[in-house]
Amino acid sequence: MRNFVAIVFDDSRKAYEGLHALWQLDDSADITVHGTGVVHRDGLGHIQVDTKDTHPALGTALGVGIGALLGALAGPAGAAIGAAGGAGIGAATGGTVGLIADLDRADTREEAADETGFVLGAGQSAVIADVSEDWTTPIDRAMRKLGGKIYRRARSDIRDDAWLSPDYPYGYYLYPYEYIPPAYSF
Amino acid sequence: MAQPATTSPKPGAGTEVKDAIDHLRSSAQELHKAISDAAAKRSGATKADIAALTEKAKTVAQSAKASVKAEQGKVAKKLTDAVSHLEATQANLSQSAKATGTAFDTGVKKVLAEARASVQKVSEAVAEKRSAAAGNTK
Repeated sequence: MRNFVAIVFDDSRKAYEGLHALWQLDDSADITVHGTGVVHRDGLGHIQVDTKDTHPALGTALGVGIGALLGALAGPAGAAIGAAGGAGIGAATGGTVGLIADLDRADTREEAADETGFVLGAGQSAVIADVSEDWTTPIDRAMRKLGGKIYRRARSDIRDDAWLSPDYPYGYYLYPYEYIPPAYSF
Repeated sequence: MAQPATTSPKPGAGTEVKDAIDHLRSSAQELHKAISDAAAKRSGATKADIAALTEKAKTVAQSAKASVKAEQGKVAKKLTDAVSHLEATQANLSQSAKATGTAFDTGVKKVLAEARASVQKVSEAVAEKRSAAAGNTK
């Protein structure tokens, strides 16, 4: 089954350990990883995407793409919010408050995603992944061992939420290989 | 809303599949990474970079074509799609080599999009094959 998975960790280093563990599961053929990314929420509440330098023409698209995916992981209302990109619309659903559209910059962060506020607390990090898995145990076991909390949505459900287009490229901007910024290299 | 995961039953042991498609996937990933790194260069990708990437794309496309012949069904279909994207990557690289300014930026976006799509398709082929292998061991 093709799923989008968000695994929340208390800090970035743990998140990168989680990312590495995810690709190890791929290497051992327990799952197939189609793309991954790491986001974190800073002390001001802004969500930032960890990415390497990229072509200027792709920077904003990257933030908006992952923002849309985070919104989609939050559910139907979140999908609309996330896909709105930098529109700056506020919304609340089921006790989870989204969206502060904001763009931040940091040394290895190109553009920030929209805040959906659904799982990520200040100072926490999340691994976002597009995976094929025949059973959920490999990811669950590996990530819980590292202290991660796992959220899943079927890719087909997310596609059904898409209000822009059923073919909106959720996950398009996830890395199709393991990318760990130098600061988190093992 | 996304829900905390629950445990699903194990489909069967011995799901490990390592073969030519896995190696093809690694090559496609390396190609995408190399294109992404070249595109991120502050001074821009050089003609030598583009020429090397075009050659690499050609090699990966040839490997993919060979893999299509060795597979069937959904796996072969995914690999055929990957070949199309790899050929488009090659074509866009060639066009980018001749372009400047906005046309070059547009070309880079197309190259990256096609290269990424090729990795996705090979990756999906790998997933199909692994899933089939897991099913066969039930």
